[in-house]
Amino acid sequence: MNMSLMVLLLTPFTGGILSYLGGKIHRSVRYTFAILFSSLTLVELFFYYNKPVNHFVLGKMFGSVMILQINPISWLFAFIVTTISLLAIIFSVNDMEGRGGLDFYYFELMVVEGAMLGITLAGDLLTFFLFWEIMSWTSYLLIIQGGNKSIKAGYKYIIMSIIGANSMLIAIAMIYGKIHTLVFRNVAMLLAASPHGFDIAIFVLFAIGFFVEAAVMPLHTWVSDAYSEAPSSVSSVLSGVLEKIGAYGLFVLLYALFGVSLLGKLMPLRFPSPTIMYTIGWFAGISIVVSTFLAILQEDAKKLLAYSSISQIGYVVLGISIGTSLGVAGGLFHALNHAIFKSLLFFTIGAVIYRTGTRNLSELGGLIKKMPVTFTGTLFGIIALAGVPPLNGFVSKWMIYEALLQKKEVFLLILALIGSTGSFLYVYRLIHSTFLGQLPEKFKDVKEVPFLMQIPIWLLSLGTIVFGIWPGLAMNVIARGEKFFGITPIKYNLYGFPGGNGMGSLKMINISSVFIAGLIVAYIIFALGAKTHRISQYDNYAAGQVVTKDTKYNYSYGFYMFFGRVVNPVFKWSADKIYLAWARSANVFGDYMRRIYTGNLETYSSYIVVIISLVGFLILLGGKIW
Amino acid sequence: MVKNILIAIGLPLLAFGIGISFMGFKRKIGARIQRRYGPPFHQPLLDIIKLLSKKSDISHGIIYDLGPMIALGASILTIFFIPIPGLKLLTGSADVIALLYIMVIGSLGMGLGAGESANPNSSIGIARALTLMFGYDLPFVIVIISVLLKYHTTNLYAITQAQAGGHWAMWVLPLSAIVGFIVIYGAMGEHPFDVVTAPHEVATGPMAEYGGKHLGLLFIDHAFHVYIELALFVDLFMGGASNIGWFYVKMFVLFLIIVFFDEVLPRFRIDDAVRFYWRWPTIIALTSLIIVLIGG
Repeated sequence: MNMSLMVLLLTPFTGGILSYLGGKIHRSVRYTFAILFSSLTLVELFFYYNKPVNHFVLGKMFGSVMILQINPISWLFAFIVTTISLLAIIFSVNDMEGRGGLDFYYFELMVVEGAMLGITLAGDLLTFFLFWEIMSWTSYLLIIQGGNKSIKAGYKYIIMSIIGANSMLIAIAMIYGKIHTLVFRNVAMLLAASPHGFDIAIFVLFAIGFFVEAAVMPLHTWVSDAYSEAPSSVSSVLSGVLEKIGAYGLFVLLYALFGVSLLGKLMPLRFPSPTIMYTIGWFAGISIVVSTFLAILQEDAKKLLAYSSISQIGYVVLGISIGTSLGVAGGLFHALNHAIFKSLLFFTIGAVIYRTGTRNLSELGGLIKKMPVTFTGTLFGIIALAGVPPLNGFVSKWMIYEALLQKKEVFLLILALIGSTGSFLYVYRLIHSTFLGQLPEKFKDVKEVPFLMQIPIWLLSLGTIVFGIWPGLAMNVIARGEKFFGITPIKYNLYGFPGGNGMGSLKMINISSVFIAGLIVAYIIFALGAKTHRISQYDNYAAGQVVTKDTKYNYSYGFYMFFGRVVNPVFKWSADKIYLAWARSANVFGDYMRRIYTGNLETYSSYIVVIISLVGFLILLGGKIW
Repeated sequence: MVKNILIAIGLPLLAFGIGISFMGFKRKIGARIQRRYGPPFHQPLLDIIKLLSKKSDISHGIIYDLGPMIALGASILTIFFIPIPGLKLLTGSADVIALLYIMVIGSLGMGLGAGESANPNSSIGIARALTLMFGYDLPFVIVIISVLLKYHTTNLYAITQAQAGGHWAMWVLPLSAIVGFIVIYGAMGEHPFDVVTAPHEVATGPMAEYGGKHLGLLFIDHAFHVYIELALFVDLFMGGASNIGWFYVKMFVLFLIIVFFDEVLPRFRIDDAVRFYWRWPTIIALTSLIIVLIGG
């Protein structure tokens, strides 16, 4: 029997236990085990790069076989999981230093990695759901490591996550009640043969679960709190990986369980795609635009990134929901790219918080001279996020635009394009308020982060370049995955896409090489001029005023206040407020209940007496009330 | 091969020449509208030479130096994706949608450089520039989508070819062309959309700290910028041209209209500029898009 997939799955769990136990001996043992075992997972994963496994029986539970499998798409997501988790573990070594309960923290980090790996490898709904639950709980425990405020944020997360998981559980129970097996292939056959009402119910129940985890509006409200309050490396895992698991779930739902042709039968077609997918596309499109607007107006670096995550995952979901080969490829590619650049940004902002202790954008500024590596990482991250060539975010967004144009879904295309332009605003805000502008006196002695924290920043920056200039590297995996799910992959080569069939062509190497040539020309003109001399930041134009250390001469607070004037009237109400109103009414209801259940023995005994006498009275009446 | 090298060297020079000549025209025409004699026609060129040959210059840091270089480098990159008469250039490597994003590399570089100058005037200028861009991008993407749908291609050269023989997109999609013009107009930062540089408010905004060769680079970049905006409009809506002469004439007519408006209008407040773009131009652009969707 081939045990290999089992080994792969167990590696992170083993690492978690070992690092927990090792931490009791010495902290270096803990770090060694954590880093060793998470790198080992990555290495093991590479054995499956070109080797799909279809059927690996894990065991049997409730009369349903539990299956592990690996196909190119799950490989892609498993790759995201293991890479980002490994980097988060490396980053945490310094970042979390000096906090209590670190043994447990590393244990959780590795268990959440293992759980997410389990989800990507699951071949049946039972395995999928089990690991899903482990993931929800451990990530909750990770979120609340961030201090007092994070407990409330974690609470919000776990409530929404449980709602999502329970709606999935109902769907699984409905399926189990019919066929007593939960293997994907059998479920797909069941769905193909079932009445439409049943199928739609199953779809909606699953979609709720995935929407919560992927943070698609309107089920996104936990994100802004949880991402900003959790420790930085956890935020990277949440945004870089956990969201992707939600997107992976959606992909499995759409293409492994239902399939486009079945969805097309359920409801009529709109712009040759099933209405149900078109609706998901609109959820995603609205996510993109609304959260972009919200991100622009944030004052908190991590909140800004959190809203931007909601917006970017919108592109992933939008791409997957288009249903064409190009759209699906774009969505999956964007999942990889978003994992790279958003984790990178959470790491760099984490590095800034590590050194300065604040994530309030208006308190920061001018850190470029103190933290050049972190600045470079942020620069690559924002260029990729904004979808500007030649970095990776551009390629996948471009594929999604082209796919939308191909299908003439013009209104979604407008939303997608506008979301991208809006992202220039907040990414510039992010980099300007932290690294540019004037350096406050209190951060005069800030140093660059330790080398161990620089490693993730360097590697992920490299990732944005590599997948930007050579998109073919990622397309190799994605195209094989599309073939696996019966979609004909689009034409691609190492440097881009030759186009055709209504799709434009793209050659990234040409864009980047001409850009570099242009830069060289500009540099020659620059170098021919007179030598420059460096001046201090206080030696500055202030219309005759002398700028000194005591005057704050920086533009940072309310960076886009004038823009806020335009859009604020629309944002007076929000989904979060509606949920909170529900929560309040639940509280009021609980208050009334508490008046009955006082917890007082005498009250309870008097209830018993009253009820017994009432029942006795009824019996006396002959059991008839009327 | 030799032809390619000639194009690689010649095109930036051509674009710069066209841009700088328009900058000269602008000084001259503007002066005549205000009943002045005005500076000589080649004044912008003299300005650039003067700025580049300044003996001393300041720097606020590496990104401050890199900002103008990225801006100019990106402008040189951009011109290779806008076809000129008889030449496809690199339109096969990036289509119109990619071009939209190639065009912003320069602004981003400029923004970074201005940000490091540690001057609030510059920061406000960039914040305004990005907001204005967000403003005009909404109608612009709608216009672009209408054109792409109309001609069933995303290749700018193919779009230009499809308009050959006087079937300009301007006549086919008049509403889109009007909005396209308003957008190009705002993108060039002319009155009433000159909120970015607004000398009386933010002391020329992003350029507040720049001087010497840095500013010289930015002037060169501006010349390219003028060329890019005008050439893009001519290619999209005025059918390109059969030879360079006609190309220049079309751009000149367009530029003349822009200057006439620019010289007599006051300035918007930034949020009013955004409101303006999100109201009428967007509605008109959407109308045109719906016409294209229905009419095919």
